[in-house]
Amino acid sequence: MTHEEVSDNCTAIVLPRPAELTEREKEDAMGAYLMMFAAWGAGFPLPMVGLIASIIYYHINKKNSKFSAFHSYQALLTHIPISIVNAAAVIWGIVLFVGQSHPLLRHYAAFGVFAGIWNALYMTFSIIACVKARKGKFYYFWVFGRISFAKYYLPSRQKKKPNDDSNLPPEGF
Amino acid sequence: MQLTITRQDLYSRGELLLRTIFGGIYIMVPHFFLWFFIGIWSAILGFIAFWAILFTGRYPQSMFEFQIKFITWHQRVFASLHNLIDGYPSFGLSGTNDKVKVVVEYPERLSRGLVIVRFLFGIFYVLIPHGFCLFFRSIATGFVAFLAWWVVLFTGSYPASWHEFNAGTLRWMLRFNLYNGLFTDAYPPFSGKP
Repeated sequence: MTHEEVSDNCTAIVLPRPAELTEREKEDAMGAYLMMFAAWGAGFPLPMVGLIASIIYYHINKKNSKFSAFHSYQALLTHIPISIVNAAAVIWGIVLFVGQSHPLLRHYAAFGVFAGIWNALYMTFSIIACVKARKGKFYYFWVFGRISFAKYYLPSRQKKKPNDDSNLPPEGF
Repeated sequence: MQLTITRQDLYSRGELLLRTIFGGIYIMVPHFFLWFFIGIWSAILGFIAFWAILFTGRYPQSMFEFQIKFITWHQRVFASLHNLIDGYPSFGLSGTNDKVKVVVEYPERLSRGLVIVRFLFGIFYVLIPHGFCLFFRSIATGFVAFLAWWVVLFTGSYPASWHEFNAGTLRWMLRFNLYNGLFTDAYPPFSGKP
């Protein structure tokens, strides 16, 4: 037995063991989570840079291997909400700064704390996922983990080519 | 690391003049335009690779291959702009050129300590000594390239030793960049010899 088999409604989902994955697959999966630092690497401290980098990285890796595609997709999905929150914080901050009006400053401070906590959580869990991916293991984020898993490992979601030779019964049977 | 720029027996004088007069427009502008965008991606991967090496001791192979392809593209264009080869340098990461070959072995392990040393002290033990030597070497290369330009124009042949000297300058710079880019742990020699 070389695979972990997960039974779900009589359909076996075969997941690779860490030893079965190549170093390259593990590194590609690890790199997906490190895209959160893309803005620093590019020298443009804008929230959307990381998201764009994640999209590019996902498109590069989606056809390489299921394992790296799964992690790239999950990293991309988790990047979307944090990018929106950060973009909102930046835009709101610019509006306050340019407008020179401060009626919403207290709200902005609260939003800043919220965004800071979210960023800290996001970074923490992303680093955990990054380390797991490097070891060839799966890590599932809340909600996004299931979506990504379903996209790449759930047999019912995978497209099957209809067999042209097969005979089919009439509709309704 | 190997950088091979093959010397041609005969060079086109027409191409030489075309490159000299319009090279900035038809070679530099389109290539540099693309490099700007790919360079951003390269910088992102370089930054991520720095941390990856620091924690895992390995340059992620996919990132390494991307960066080497990008560097090879640079070498094709530089060789052309230096009049070391004829022909238009091919675009893209998968582009090839029979006359310009870059081979960089993928290192299975890289020293994490050296990554930190390079980051903290690289300016002192790599940038300053090599920058100093390369400054004078580049002046000499410019002078030789100027003389070679006239020789090619009148004879159609690039003197072999001059070609090797100018190709050596590109090789030296490449070794220097590879060391700074964390692609190798081998300190670059103060020479452009293969």
